[in-house]
Amino acid sequence: MRDPRNAATGLLVLLPFALGAALAPWLLGWIAVAPNRLLSARIAPLGATGPVAIAWTAYHAALIALPLAAWRPARAWMAEAVGVLAALALLAVVGLGASAAVPPGGLARAAPAAGAWVALLLLFLAISTGAALRGATPALPLLAVLGGAVLLGVSGLLDPLSIMREALGRGEELRQALAEHVILSFSALLLALALSIPLSALSISRHGLEAGFLSVASGLQVIPAIALFGLLIVPLAALGAAFPALREMGLGGVGPAPAVIGITAYLLLPLARGLLAGFRVAPPALVEAALGQGLSPRQILWQLRVPLGAGVVLGALRLAAVQAVGLATLAALVGGGGLGAIVLQGVGQLAADLILLGVLPVLALSLAVDAGIALLSRRLAPEE
Amino acid sequence: MRRAAWLGAEILAFLAALWAAPRAERLWSALFPEVSRPTYQQESWFTLLGSHLALSLLAVLIAAALAVPAGILATRRRGRRFRPVLDAVFALAQSLPPVAAVAVALPLLGFGAAPTLLALVLYAALPLLRATASGLEAVPADALEAARGLGLSPFQRLAQVELPLARPVLLSGLRVAVTLSVATTAVGAIAGARCLGTPIISGLANANPAYVLQGALFTAWLALLLDRALGLLAAEGGSRMGELVA
Amino acid sequence: MIRFEGISHRYGSVQALREVSFGVPQGSLCVLLGESGSGKSTLLRTVNRLVEPSAGRVLLGGRDVAGTDPQALRRGIGYVIQSVGLFPHRSVGENIATVPRLLGWDARRIALRVEELLEMVGLDPGTYRDRLPGTLSGGQAQRVGLARALAANPPVLLMDEPFSALDPGTRRGLQAALRRIHAGSGKTILMVTHDVEEALALADRIAVMDDGRLAVEGPPLEVLGRHAPATVRRMVRAEVLAFHRLAALRAADSALPGPAPGAPVLPEGATLRDALLLMLGHGADRVALMGEAPRHVTLAALLAASGSGG
Repeated sequence: MRDPRNAATGLLVLLPFALGAALAPWLLGWIAVAPNRLLSARIAPLGATGPVAIAWTAYHAALIALPLAAWRPARAWMAEAVGVLAALALLAVVGLGASAAVPPGGLARAAPAAGAWVALLLLFLAISTGAALRGATPALPLLAVLGGAVLLGVSGLLDPLSIMREALGRGEELRQALAEHVILSFSALLLALALSIPLSALSISRHGLEAGFLSVASGLQVIPAIALFGLLIVPLAALGAAFPALREMGLGGVGPAPAVIGITAYLLLPLARGLLAGFRVAPPALVEAALGQGLSPRQILWQLRVPLGAGVVLGALRLAAVQAVGLATLAALVGGGGLGAIVLQGVGQLAADLILLGVLPVLALSLAVDAGIALLSRRLAPEE
Repeated sequence: MRRAAWLGAEILAFLAALWAAPRAERLWSALFPEVSRPTYQQESWFTLLGSHLALSLLAVLIAAALAVPAGILATRRRGRRFRPVLDAVFALAQSLPPVAAVAVALPLLGFGAAPTLLALVLYAALPLLRATASGLEAVPADALEAARGLGLSPFQRLAQVELPLARPVLLSGLRVAVTLSVATTAVGAIAGARCLGTPIISGLANANPAYVLQGALFTAWLALLLDRALGLLAAEGGSRMGELVA
Repeated sequence: MIRFEGISHRYGSVQALREVSFGVPQGSLCVLLGESGSGKSTLLRTVNRLVEPSAGRVLLGGRDVAGTDPQALRRGIGYVIQSVGLFPHRSVGENIATVPRLLGWDARRIALRVEELLEMVGLDPGTYRDRLPGTLSGGQAQRVGLARALAANPPVLLMDEPFSALDPGTRRGLQAALRRIHAGSGKTILMVTHDVEEALALADRIAVMDDGRLAVEGPPLEVLGRHAPATVRRMVRAEVLAFHRLAALRAADSALPGPAPGAPVLPEGATLRDALLLMLGHGADRVALMGEAPRHVTLAALLAASGSGG
C-alpha cells in the first residue's frame, strides 16, 4: 500500500490545477468590458502596458512554481504560499489590464472575465489541496488571498473594476452589513452555547436527557432554514403584539429575532455532539479514580473533562461558528440585516457585482472564524 | 413494519393538508385578521410540491452519479493520492453557504431552476462523496484480504464485498444529501425556482405572514417526512447488519 | 508440489526475503516457522501471488505461478488467515459458497458442498448455515474460514497463522480438525506459525525462517532437535523445546518389556510427552503402557530418548 503523502504526489495532484489556471484565461478571457452599466460585457484584450506585463509574468512564474513547490509533501505550505502569490498576481493582471482597457471616469465598466474567475477558483482549490496534503485547514492561506485582495483594493490597483466601484459607492452600507452579520452570528453562537453547555453537562450522567436533547436538536437540523425562520415570524409577531415591551427590545415578527433564534436552533446539534464527545474524552477509569479521591462532579467536569476534551469541543465550536456565519446570510430574508441584504439586493437587480460584494465578505468572515479557532485550538491542544 | 405504516399515514395527512390549505380560508383569516388575502392561491400546492421534489431529487441523482464513482476512484490504490483534492473541495464548500452559491450562480445561469440546480448538485454531492469514501475506507481489511486471497477480481471485490459493507454509511450520506437538497431548493425560491419556498419568499416580499406560515409549514413537513423515510430505509437495510452487533 | 526457487523480495528499503529455495512435497503439511518479521508470511503470500517476489520464481505443480492469471490461481488455492476475514454481510453458507459461485457451480451442488464442509469442520449445518459471521465465536469463525478455503476442493491450502488468535483449548480443537482433514484428503498444506508446539503437533516438514533467509528445512525432529538453529532457540527455551519434542515421539518406541506394578497406565499410541505428564501427575518414575504384552516406560528411558539426559 502506497502512502498518499510520498514524494511527487503533491506535484501530480497540483499540476492539473496549475495547468487549468494557466489555460482558463486564454480560453475564457481575462477581463470583460461593457460600454455602460446596461449593455452586456464582452471579453476584452489585456492592454500591453509595462505593469500588465510584469504582473502577467509574475502570474505565470507562480503557476510554474506551484506544483514544483509541492514536490516535498512535508513542505506543502510552500505550495500554498505560491498559490496565494499566484492568486494575487492574477488579481493584479486583471486590475492593471482593466485600467489599461477602460479609460478612467468613463461609462465603460470592466470586470474579471469567466477565465479569470475559473483560474481564481482553481487556485483556491489548489491552495486548499495543499493544506489537505499536510492535513491542515486551508482557512489561513485563503484568508491571506482575501486580505491581499483588500490591500490591492486599498492601493487603488483594482479601482477600475466594477465591483470596486460598487464597493466604494456603498462603503458605509457594506460596513453596516458586515457589523450586523458579525452581531447576528456571534449572538446566535453565544445563545447556542448558553443552552448547550449546561444541557450537555447534565446529559453526561442522564441518558434520558441526552436522548431527548439530541433528538430535538437533530430534528431541528432537518427543517430547512428558510422554513424555520418563516415559522418563527408568526409566534414572535404575536409575542411582540401582546407585549409591547418585548417589541421595544427588538423581539418582533420581522427583524433579527427570528434569525438569531433560528440560527441558534441549528447550532445546537453540532455543539451538543462536540460537547458530549469532548466531555467523554476523559476515560471512565480516570473519572472513577477522581471520584475515589473525593472530587465532586463539578470539579471532575472542570478539572478533568473540560481540559481533556478541549480539542474536540473547539473542533465543534469551529464547525458551529462557520455555520453561524453562513446561516446569518439568510437573516436578510426575514429582515434581520447582515451581508445577506446586499446579496438579496444583487439577486433582485440581477447584479453580479452586488452579489459578489455580499458573498465575498461572508466567505472572508467564515474563513477568518475557521482560521481563528483553528489557531486557538492548536495553541490549547497542540497534540490534536 | 409499524413505522412504515405510520409513515404512510403521515404522507396521506401531508397530502390532505396540501389539498385543504387553499380551501381553509376561514382558518387563515382567523389566524391573520389583519391580512387582506391570507390564503395562498397563486399556484396549486401540488404543483409546488412536485417541482420541489423533482428539483431536489434530480439534484441528488446527478450528485450521486458524480459522487459515488468519484468516491470509489479516490479509494482505489491509484486514485488515493487524489484524496486531498476531495478534502479541499469539502473544506472550500463548507465556508460558503448554499444561499451564496445560488446567488453567485445566478448571473451566470439566469433566473429559474438552473442556478439552484447547480448549487443543489454541489451541496448534495459533498456528503455523498464523503460518505462513499469513508464508507469504503471503513471496510475491514481482513475481509478485503480474504476476498483477494479467494480470487475475487477487483470489480467483484467492489461489488460483492466493499459496496455492500459500505451501504449503511452510504445511506446516511444519502440522507444528509436529501435533507440539504430539500433545504437548498427552498432557498432557490429567491432565484426564481418554483418550489414550496416560493410562498415564503412571496410572503416575505409582500409582508404577508400568512403565505410565509403556509410555505414554511409545508417545507418543514416535507423535509421531516423525507428524512424519516430515508431513516426507515437505512434501518431496514441495517437490520441484517444489526445482528452483527447483537 | 510447491517449489520456491531463489525467492527474494524487498518492501521499499526492507529486504523481506533473501534467496529462499526449498520444496514442499505433495501431500505434506509443511510449517513455516519463525519470529515476526522473519519473512514467513511474505513467502507464503508469493504462492498465491498476493506478493510478487522481486526475484526468483514459485512453481506450483511444476508451473511457474507468475505465468498464471492471479484470480484463477487464487480460486484454485485455499487461503486461511489469522483474522479469518469472513464477509460480515453474508451468512456462513454464503461465505463458504464464495469460490464455488465464482466458478459457476450450480446451486444444488453448492448447497451439498456447504453442508459437507460444515460437517467436515465440525459445525452442524442446520444450526450454522444461515447465521451471520458476527454471531460466531472466534473458533467457530475460523472453522468457517477453513471450510470456505476448502470449498472448491483445492489441492493446495495456504494458512497464515490460522489459529494464533484463539485460546489454547479452541486451538487444539481446530488443530485436531485440520489433522483429520489433512489425513483424509491428502492436500498439500503450507502453514505459517510462530508457535513451536503447534509446528510439532501438525507438521511433517518444518522450514525455519530467520531474517528473510531459510535457516533450515526438514522433518520436525531433525529441525527442532538438539541442534536446532539459533532462531528456534531464541523463540523457545531449550528445555521447553525438549518437552515439546517429546510430543513427536511415541511412548511405545521407548518402552521396556515387563510389568510395572502400581504404576499409572498410559493408553496405547500415547506420546512420550503424555508419559511425562502422567509421571508428573502421579509422582511416579515409571508408567505402564496399555497393550497385549506388559510394557512400561521409565523416566530414565524417557530422558535418554529425548536426548536431554546425556
